[in-house]
Amino acid sequence: MLAQQLVNGIVVSGVYALFALGFTLVFGIQRILNLAHGAIFMTGAMVAYYVVKAGGALWLGFIMAIIASGLLSVFVEIVCFRRLRKTGDEEFGGIISSIGAGLVIMTIAQRVSDTLILRFPFETFPVVIFKFWGLRVSMLQLFMAGAALVLVFILGYYIYRTSFGRRVRAVTDNEHAAMLMGINPNLIYSQTYFLAGALAGAAGVLVGLAFNSINFIMGEPYLMFGFVIIILGGLGSIPGALLASLVFGMGQTLTIAYLPSGLTDTVIFAALFLILLFRPHGLMGKEEAGNIRGRR
Amino acid sequence: MSQFIAGYLPLFDLYLLHLGLAFSQYIVLRAGVFSLATAAFAGIGAYTAGIFAVNLGLHPVLGLAAGTLTGMGAALFLSIPLARLRGVYQAIATVAFIQIVVSLNIYSESLTGGAMGLNAIPKTVGTGVLLIAAVAATYLVWSIEKGRLGRAFDAIRQDEAVAASLGISITWHQALAFAISGALAGLFGGLEAYHSYALDPNQFGFHLLITVLSYVILGGRNSVAGPLIGTAILIILPELARPLAENRLIIYGIMLIVVINYLPKGIADTAIDTIRARRLKRREAAA
Amino acid sequence: MTMLRLSKLSKYFGGVVASQDVDIDVPAGQITGLIGPNGAGKTTIVNMITGMLPVTDGTIHIGDTDITHAPAHTISRAGLARTFQNIRLLSEASVIDNVMIGFHRHETSSTIAALLGLPSAARETMDIQQRAMALLQRFDMADLAEYPAGGLSYGHQRKVEMMRALASEPDFILLDEPIAGMNDVESEGLAEIFRGFAADGKGVLLIEHNVRFVAKLCSKVYVLDGGRLISEGTPDHVLNDQAVITAYLGG
Repeated sequence: MLAQQLVNGIVVSGVYALFALGFTLVFGIQRILNLAHGAIFMTGAMVAYYVVKAGGALWLGFIMAIIASGLLSVFVEIVCFRRLRKTGDEEFGGIISSIGAGLVIMTIAQRVSDTLILRFPFETFPVVIFKFWGLRVSMLQLFMAGAALVLVFILGYYIYRTSFGRRVRAVTDNEHAAMLMGINPNLIYSQTYFLAGALAGAAGVLVGLAFNSINFIMGEPYLMFGFVIIILGGLGSIPGALLASLVFGMGQTLTIAYLPSGLTDTVIFAALFLILLFRPHGLMGKEEAGNIRGRR
Repeated sequence: MSQFIAGYLPLFDLYLLHLGLAFSQYIVLRAGVFSLATAAFAGIGAYTAGIFAVNLGLHPVLGLAAGTLTGMGAALFLSIPLARLRGVYQAIATVAFIQIVVSLNIYSESLTGGAMGLNAIPKTVGTGVLLIAAVAATYLVWSIEKGRLGRAFDAIRQDEAVAASLGISITWHQALAFAISGALAGLFGGLEAYHSYALDPNQFGFHLLITVLSYVILGGRNSVAGPLIGTAILIILPELARPLAENRLIIYGIMLIVVINYLPKGIADTAIDTIRARRLKRREAAA
Repeated sequence: MTMLRLSKLSKYFGGVVASQDVDIDVPAGQITGLIGPNGAGKTTIVNMITGMLPVTDGTIHIGDTDITHAPAHTISRAGLARTFQNIRLLSEASVIDNVMIGFHRHETSSTIAALLGLPSAARETMDIQQRAMALLQRFDMADLAEYPAGGLSYGHQRKVEMMRALASEPDFILLDEPIAGMNDVESEGLAEIFRGFAADGKGVLLIEHNVRFVAKLCSKVYVLDGGRLISEGTPDHVLNDQAVITAYLGG
């Protein structure tokens, strides 16, 4: 029983990692908390659904979802944050602006889906269950874990092993100096937001498949879980977010399995509260969360 | 004529109720705390008042007092951990607090009615009581603004290091702003309970947070006129035309993006700044 | 005689010495200088005195009051005001509001009175407004009272900051690089103001880069390098001290 829960926990963690990595990446680079990230995640699931419904193959839907959510994320950055960064009000303004973007995206999705819960046609993903060592693992779970792993590796490769990653870090350190070196910060930001949105969109498709249930508010709980994960990992830290996704995914799975239902959310958010109190920079972050602050 | 008024009375009631919540959100932002917890305090106040009336059968005045005090108590409690945090961390912590309150309200079924909500609350609050409460709240915020507390809040919001160097205790003033915010939200949550027969736990969630925040962002965060104007516009707007009502959330969303980008001080504060600048210019011309 | 006194003041960041065994006396009625090349540790000293940085070792006293570990906001009550290296005004607020906030230390109306807008609170606000206006007149800035502070010229902003510091009626004033970025005329104007502080019996600690300016104003000068005092005495003595010359020229 416990082993089964651990397996389920690992699969869930992978999805959380996809969601949280983009969330924390954007914060690390621009110090903006993009609250539209949950809506972008939901858009991924919706796009995949409509592609499949129109007769497209699932893999096509998956790719379209990734591209669409990536582009949507870039669009949100341009419309909501670009101007705010110039005025230097991105911390407060970014939260307000992205709440607005999330509302708009979700309402459009509500219109498009007619407030219905959408379900993929039966056997869109083949239902195959493997049994070994007393565990039950579905093909879908394997696919989810595999997809998460591959995407996380791609992101890691991009950030740590390519010239793109170096430019991202240059812009993060000092936007002005990076510009003098011939780096166009806006281009870097667009690429970063594309990556962040694409990962969230992929997570959306996986969650949509796993529960076979897609609706316009499905992003909200994930946004909340995303908060917990990126705080736990230290705002802006990629390795931190990975570790925290695992801790959170496991913790949540076990909480649901062993605690009275209905109390899960309370426990999760109380935990977030305690983390903020005692380790506000997270498991691995170095950021100061509560210093006396100067001008703003 | 009287029919006209009767037709718009529910809208006016809603305005008064939400005005109190807008002031609750306003006062913490004014003191430089990025808290979004007003919805949670309102939920706490509403449920306390509701339980006082339904489960205990107590007088509404007692219920309102209890709602106000529990709202304030929760806020003071929350201000202790929040004093150690800044900026986005405060925002996240308070959003988490809202989730905790919502899920506890759903979980504690025997006390709160759980997901079904708290029903059959006697309606004891009408427009008159709401009007008195709203006027009192406006007066409170106005007198804070023009006195030493307003000056201290402004200094803390703009530069904490300067404020501290002038002898202003940041912790104390922000805790005070929190207490006022919690008390206002608790009171108006309680009024909501006695005004609407029933409470639903999700009524005090993320959605209310967005609504109340929108009032303050649109109206302005630095003068008492801000919440007065912002709340009025956003409550009247959907009534003007059917398409506006049907697309209410999209309008809120677009409004938030446009205002924070192009009118970051909100309508009232921008107007006040403009008037002041024009007066100075006229004086220069005369001199 | 009251005095702002630092004794054996030290600060370590991990193993790194930011300041070590610094002894400085700032007597009332005089201007005391603290100079040193870039990175000498002047800012560390300022931050320790003003409570922005915890002290590792040693003590800071104002008269008999120990403020070594006092939180930042209580230091103003002990009688110390400060200005900032990069002028820090409340840029959204008007000039007079910026000066009025300086009176915070002397506001006595109760919180309840302030919340309810009782007459006592209203009277206090009126009174403070008048006192702020008097200060503005003294500094020839009454005409600018209603203007947003953020839009003023550099020299005017510096004056507003001085008035704000004065409003708290301090016994000691800490001036952190007050003439950085000013021309000779402007800095001469400020020098007059600083002499006025000392003539009023206030103790002034002037932290400066500009050696010439310090030499002109101070009765005693301390020289900091690498976190330690390397010289102290009259301006003449210090400026001819070989150790100081070496430190400044990077000998």
